[in-house]
Amino acid sequence: MAVPEVTLTHLNRADGSATYTHNGYSIIGAVNGPIEVSRRDEMPEEATLEVNVRPAVGVGSPKERHLESLLHNTLRSIILTRMMPRTLVQITLQVRSLPEEDEATGVNSTLTILPHLLHTSLLALLSASIPLLTTLTSLLIAVPTSSAPIISPTSTELLRAGPLQAVHVFAFAGDRRLLLNESDGAFSYDEWEEACEMAEEVCCSGGEGGVKLEGEGMDVDAQDGNLEEWLRGVVRRKVDWEQRWKKGT
Amino acid sequence: MPREAEISLNEREFIKQALQEQIRLDNRAFDAFRKLELTFGEEYGVADVQLGKTRVIARISIDVTTPLPERKFDGVFQIFTEFSPMASPAFEVGRPTDAEVILSRILEKAIRRSNALDTESLCIIAGLKCFALRADVHIIDHDGGLIDASCIAVMAALQHFRRPDVLVEGERATILSVREREPIPLSILHQPLCVTFSYFAEGEIFLVDANLAEEQVRNAEVIVTMNRHGEVCQIAKYGGVTVNPLAMLQCTNVALQKVKEMSKFIQQKLDEDAKRRDAGGLMAELSAENAR
Amino acid sequence: MPLDTSTYSLALLRLDGRRWNELRRIHAQISTQAAADGSSYLEMGNTKILVSVTGPAEGRQSGQRGGSGGQAKVEVEINFAGFSGMERRRRGGGDKRSKEMEHCVKSAFEGVLLLHLFPHSTITLNIHIISQDGSLLAACINASTLALIDAGIPMTDYLVACTAASSASSTAADNASADDPLLDLNTLEEQELPFLTVGTLGDSDQVAVCVMETRVRMERLEGMLAVGIEGCKRMRGILDGVVKGYGKRFG
Repeated sequence: MAVPEVTLTHLNRADGSATYTHNGYSIIGAVNGPIEVSRRDEMPEEATLEVNVRPAVGVGSPKERHLESLLHNTLRSIILTRMMPRTLVQITLQVRSLPEEDEATGVNSTLTILPHLLHTSLLALLSASIPLLTTLTSLLIAVPTSSAPIISPTSTELLRAGPLQAVHVFAFAGDRRLLLNESDGAFSYDEWEEACEMAEEVCCSGGEGGVKLEGEGMDVDAQDGNLEEWLRGVVRRKVDWEQRWKKGT
Repeated sequence: MPREAEISLNEREFIKQALQEQIRLDNRAFDAFRKLELTFGEEYGVADVQLGKTRVIARISIDVTTPLPERKFDGVFQIFTEFSPMASPAFEVGRPTDAEVILSRILEKAIRRSNALDTESLCIIAGLKCFALRADVHIIDHDGGLIDASCIAVMAALQHFRRPDVLVEGERATILSVREREPIPLSILHQPLCVTFSYFAEGEIFLVDANLAEEQVRNAEVIVTMNRHGEVCQIAKYGGVTVNPLAMLQCTNVALQKVKEMSKFIQQKLDEDAKRRDAGGLMAELSAENAR
Repeated sequence: MPLDTSTYSLALLRLDGRRWNELRRIHAQISTQAAADGSSYLEMGNTKILVSVTGPAEGRQSGQRGGSGGQAKVEVEINFAGFSGMERRRRGGGDKRSKEMEHCVKSAFEGVLLLHLFPHSTITLNIHIISQDGSLLAACINASTLALIDAGIPMTDYLVACTAASSASSTAADNASADDPLLDLNTLEEQELPFLTVGTLGDSDQVAVCVMETRVRMERLEGMLAVGIEGCKRMRGILDGVVKGYGKRFG
């Protein structure tokens, strides 16, 4: 599995920003916050969260509104909103490009883009130094009818995989707890649990004795492909960059 | 919705006084643009323009629709500009500010009404099918000069875009995919570009390409759209302090020179991009032959 | 072809029988509505406009009373009557073109009115377009000037506007010197020719508003601008006559 490419804090105007590119998805995320909130949205004991998802082509549709509500609910549980009462945290996610075959896969495009949006918003939040309870990592798993599940498939892989039985999106918090699950298709509870374990293995690090992934349809090096490791790497580089004045001597 | 942070009185006075002493805060000449950067995406028709700290992405996409009944021989071309909170927290989704309306009107007048794009070439079957071209303008970073940057982005993206070829047999039209037939560029009649002049000190001083701070301090703006052939496509001075008409005519001369420079720059970037793509195309052809 | 340019170059008379530098018939009244703080009615040929001014008064929204920075805020609202144009179609208020016109009138008057005398207050201009036949923006500005004078809001001078076009003689299209400027266009001429709307402050040559929406060679701009400014001066004389004529009634 290719690791996402990230550029942090590259916009001048926004408080925090991130550009995220993975499997042909490219998203620019920006966070403004904590800022003044309009009287209407003000909450006395916590910060208001506003999520805007903007598609590459066209203006927002119900699909974007749906994504916004999913992101809103997930992010609200990891942002320490109570530390910044009566303020606004504004997250804008601009989809820059989608893989060419995105439309052709037949998979619900809300699900395929969701992990990428989650990662982008988290990175932008980190860049804006918004206090967070935990980090999150997210993943798409496609379960074809005839072969083994594919982890974080690219659009071409989805096309090649043939008919799909189910598609799952999982998001895990840093403490391995499940934050979000969106599934589409027909599956039994056991199948779901299997998918969930596979996702957890890739999303979270530090667990011993996990299932060693055997690569069908993917060649994953458990260490390189681990999302939490990747996230830690990104944050380490960010902190290194910010602390470079200390090391300069 | 939070309000746009207003520039403080001290900053305001500082900028004004510096201008009186012939100095701009970023040490540019009065008639100099900020550093312009233009990159194209992997796909056709995506242009990413950076003008100093302002960044705009324009994206062209195409679809097939029925032409408007009163314009049977024309394709559809629309420009969409919607500000997002990414550029500034004061922009609210779904409630256009004056600046947003003006931006979209200026682009409309500069590019669409001046017939920069030959919409007749987008017609497939008269009255039945035509291409609908849309340009989405995404403001990513806002530090003034949005109109100039957006216009450059849209024009560059239009010139970069390739539309799929189409095969017409009587009443049947087949859109040929990129793999079947090399896509073809749009027919662009001329290249309008905007230059915004900002007036200070009651119309005595004018600057080209003001940044956000200068925009907030200025007394008036004049937006001139020209192409490099010396045609003025649009002029807009909506109120503000009065300026001398001769100074305005002088603006068009300055604008012409700037537009020529920018057109050349865009063309150079397009050529570079074409070369890069062509090298890839040649490689792909070679590898295909080897496989056979 | 609405404007038959061939006959124009022969007789030098326009479709409505005017010469190149003639304004249309202008009829203006002020204090037309008793309920408003200031009002005016202006006819420029067949373009008919009604303006009412409210203010300086407390703003509508209680949260943001008037403008910031210690000066009054100007609000402009333009309404197109359903029967004003050729098509009997209702135009929505959120139309971008009328928004642009509103913005133009607003920022033009912000530069002319002495707003610092009325901090924390709002001046609202309601412009009703009853009939449109060219030079719409210019007529809006002229009518608003009259209404604001009627309302007694201090301003530095008359803000007057006028349109001017450039009709290239069809024989010498590329010869810049051979183009004929025209003053004060009607709809048919606007559709045919490149034109601009220019607004000046009083008798001076200073340009406050300049809007051009059609493509034209830059050499032809100078002639259009000069004719437009000349037209504005005459327009100021006419409006001044209207205001003074009204003042005599009290004399």
